[in-house]
Amino acid sequence: MLNHERVTDDADHCEIMASSVDGAEEEDKLKTQFVIRDGTYKRMTLSEYSRPNRVAYTTNQGNTAVKVSFITLPDPDPSGYPERLCFNTGKELYVFVYKGVKKAADLTKYVDKKIYKGTNPTSHDFNRFTATLDSISLVVGFSTGPIQLFDPIKREEKDFKTFNEHTSIDKSKVTCVRWIPNSKNLFLASYASGHMYLFNQDLPCCISTPSYQILQSGEGYAVYTLKSKSPLNPVHRWVIGHEGSSVNEIAFSPCHSYLAVVSQDGFLRVFNYSTQELVGRARSYYGGFLCVCWSPDSKYVVVGGEDDLITVWRLKDRCVVARGDGHHSWVSVVAFDPFSTQLHSDEDTVQCYRLGSVGQDTQLCLWDITEDVLTQTNVFSVRTKTSNNNNNTTSLNNSTGNGTIKCHNNSNSTINHKDSGDHSTSHVASLTQRLAGFSFGSSDKSKSHDHNHHNNSHSRSSPNSGLSLADSTDPMRLIGTASCPRYDQCPRIEPLIRKKIAHERLTALVFKEDCFVAACQDGYVYTWARPGKISNQNSHLVAGTGSSTVV
Amino acid sequence: MGPNISALEKEIGTDRFPPNERYFGLVNFGNTCYSNSVLQALYFCKPFRDRVLEYKAKNKKNKETLLSCLADLFHNIATHKKKVGSIAPKKFITRLRKEKDEFDNYMQQDAHEFLNFLINHINEVILSERPQANNRAKLTSDAGGGDNHSSSGGFEEPTWVHEIFQGILTSETKCLNCETVSSKDEDFFDLQVDIKQNTSITQCLRGFSSTETLCSDNKFKCDNCASYQEAQKCMKVKKLPMILALHLKRFKYMDKINRHVKVSHRVVFPLELRLFHLSDDAVNPDRMYNLVAVVIHCGSGPNRGHYISIVKSHDFWLLFDDDVVDKIDQSTIEDFFGLTSDHQKSSETGYILFYQSRDSSDPKVNSNDCRQNGK
Repeated sequence: MLNHERVTDDADHCEIMASSVDGAEEEDKLKTQFVIRDGTYKRMTLSEYSRPNRVAYTTNQGNTAVKVSFITLPDPDPSGYPERLCFNTGKELYVFVYKGVKKAADLTKYVDKKIYKGTNPTSHDFNRFTATLDSISLVVGFSTGPIQLFDPIKREEKDFKTFNEHTSIDKSKVTCVRWIPNSKNLFLASYASGHMYLFNQDLPCCISTPSYQILQSGEGYAVYTLKSKSPLNPVHRWVIGHEGSSVNEIAFSPCHSYLAVVSQDGFLRVFNYSTQELVGRARSYYGGFLCVCWSPDSKYVVVGGEDDLITVWRLKDRCVVARGDGHHSWVSVVAFDPFSTQLHSDEDTVQCYRLGSVGQDTQLCLWDITEDVLTQTNVFSVRTKTSNNNNNTTSLNNSTGNGTIKCHNNSNSTINHKDSGDHSTSHVASLTQRLAGFSFGSSDKSKSHDHNHHNNSHSRSSPNSGLSLADSTDPMRLIGTASCPRYDQCPRIEPLIRKKIAHERLTALVFKEDCFVAACQDGYVYTWARPGKISNQNSHLVAGTGSSTVV
Repeated sequence: MGPNISALEKEIGTDRFPPNERYFGLVNFGNTCYSNSVLQALYFCKPFRDRVLEYKAKNKKNKETLLSCLADLFHNIATHKKKVGSIAPKKFITRLRKEKDEFDNYMQQDAHEFLNFLINHINEVILSERPQANNRAKLTSDAGGGDNHSSSGGFEEPTWVHEIFQGILTSETKCLNCETVSSKDEDFFDLQVDIKQNTSITQCLRGFSSTETLCSDNKFKCDNCASYQEAQKCMKVKKLPMILALHLKRFKYMDKINRHVKVSHRVVFPLELRLFHLSDDAVNPDRMYNLVAVVIHCGSGPNRGHYISIVKSHDFWLLFDDDVVDKIDQSTIEDFFGLTSDHQKSSETGYILFYQSRDSSDPKVNSNDCRQNGK
């Protein structure tokens, strides 16, 4: 009855909507270039990477997201193209020499190509620490559970290793594999089962069903080691959140101390990796968190997910400090752009972070996260302040200043800085290094596995973070806390730009010095030149500009 | 018991089979999948099932109504000596065909129209069976829809159908001449949302409450100005229902070909949902919903194709395809989001989503809801 009224109402709505849709169509058109404050970004049509034999468009791409991994070979490459690109599409995996904005992609000349039967590669990572000009280690996870390790340059049978081959360790899909920073032989793999496993490439895998003993546990997670006489894989097993709630992505902080984990239960959990201690967490507004990344200075974690939002979380006070509202569907990748991040004149603190995100809405969003937003008085920070010094009238600048100092003390006491000051990894963005260097000082605390110590530091951090409700994962109890502010309780940011840059869902986004790279579910990896990066030498790589430029 | 049925019990595992739970397929009586799929979805909306079974327990000797037939059907499933199997909803379908001419044939029907009819009709039956039922209530039940008695809500105790499905929308209209904001409430049992390619249900709901400007032929009659004026209108949810039923408008009328075509756009829907764009005086704005059931349309058009449903029961998902029941992996839900290309005509897509409030098992909140309804 009432619904009938509603139907007629809707008919009117429809017409109005239709006209507004027409108006918005320009916005929804596929873009090959766009302009922002910095200048014009252009898609380099001839720098597209895909499977060499392009197949007719089919919808049977499967549901495996196309991911990209990059490695920059450390020694000077005589060819002048030191970057290698790996991407997966369907059952295939390719490694190419990546020529970026400089030269067209030659799809017939791949470094390596693999076609798998009955399984899809889902995630991969190059080992940056061990890479040399003629040898790189690529670890690849699969939809059916196994993980492979091989060298796509040497391509020697003896270097080929498989882990969890008979899926006795885990039968679910590998969702993310990452090398432990600065490790020659350790990598961490997350699974759809909600588990993560630490593998050592030099150890054999446990053949039978592994039995574990507990090593460390905390709110909503536990870490186990394998019960066995001789050392075997997996070295560790992490159980995250509820049983069976997929771990969707993991990310090590640029300072190498922290591990951020996002999962289908809607939680971001940040661990001190070496002590395996939970440092803090955030809850999505609703739905799973799908992607995670760290700011170049390791101070912020940004996550995206099924609430169509990006959520900015601050490490120092374990607070959700902002949400970004711009995508029209789930956010599948978030990535900071360290090259467009603006520093203060003293070069030591960030004035404005640039963030990119892509989603299932086929759109790219670029965001400026300014100091203004990040220093806004947050209801949760205020509560902390008043409880600490009873001074409500502290000015904004003062209070955040205090917070920063206090927090540095706090965090330094629990962080291992085994890697700060290590500049041997030349491929890491220089800004990242610079920022990582200052923001975490050089307080080199010795590695400790003393559990009491961790428990102490954990309880010390909790009153500071609004984690008093931390004993519950119930979203109804978390709403309105620092882990999950109400929608109107935390600053909202809008994207700098929102552009449709593909026909299909976007699945990867990487920022490079002269371009950004975005991959799409249909198996294409696009290169977008940054403003001013197109010259006479490479203008022919851009669609439709040939006539205007003499080459 | 067919071979696939015992397989279901095996797959769930006899030790993990939820106690007091039954999984029964519904036999198809010739294109009755529109009814089967909706009935299964409603059966697994726990508050609804509980109230229907409660009705059955309280009303033993009433005359046959569509509600009594539904109650018998649910009762037969819930008290069956077997845990799995199939059942023939013969009495229900016969009664349905008597109640409404549109369903009295062997044509494929629209599942949403059926849901809409069923919920409204049950509500009418409850009202008409009330001892204090006055002439007015009888009138509305005779009308069988199209009447707007429930929006006036004030003079009648809400039924349990209201308590479960009813929400309130408020349309706020701001006259651009005098800036006076007037608002008008209306009840809803479900929200019907327009869909766009590669969006989420969140985005579709956003479109629902986007601001529209009333101008030219469509001006707003402002009481304050006593004339037609340009105005801005915005729909907001004022009361969130216990079960939020979302109807994705996948059948679009095309003038050119003079019929409805299916829109297979990919619209993702999460397992959890909160609503944005609530009115300032919204009750329980933090309410979190869990996806409990989805009615899925398979095929290329409104009058051909098939309806199935997926439901969440305890910790796992089940697919009901008429008399066949299968346990499915949660990850297969994404197969029902839709298609990203427009080349393919046929698709298996989510059509009606049932989100259940997370706090609906909390009796305190329930009584709160009643009070809200009764105010």
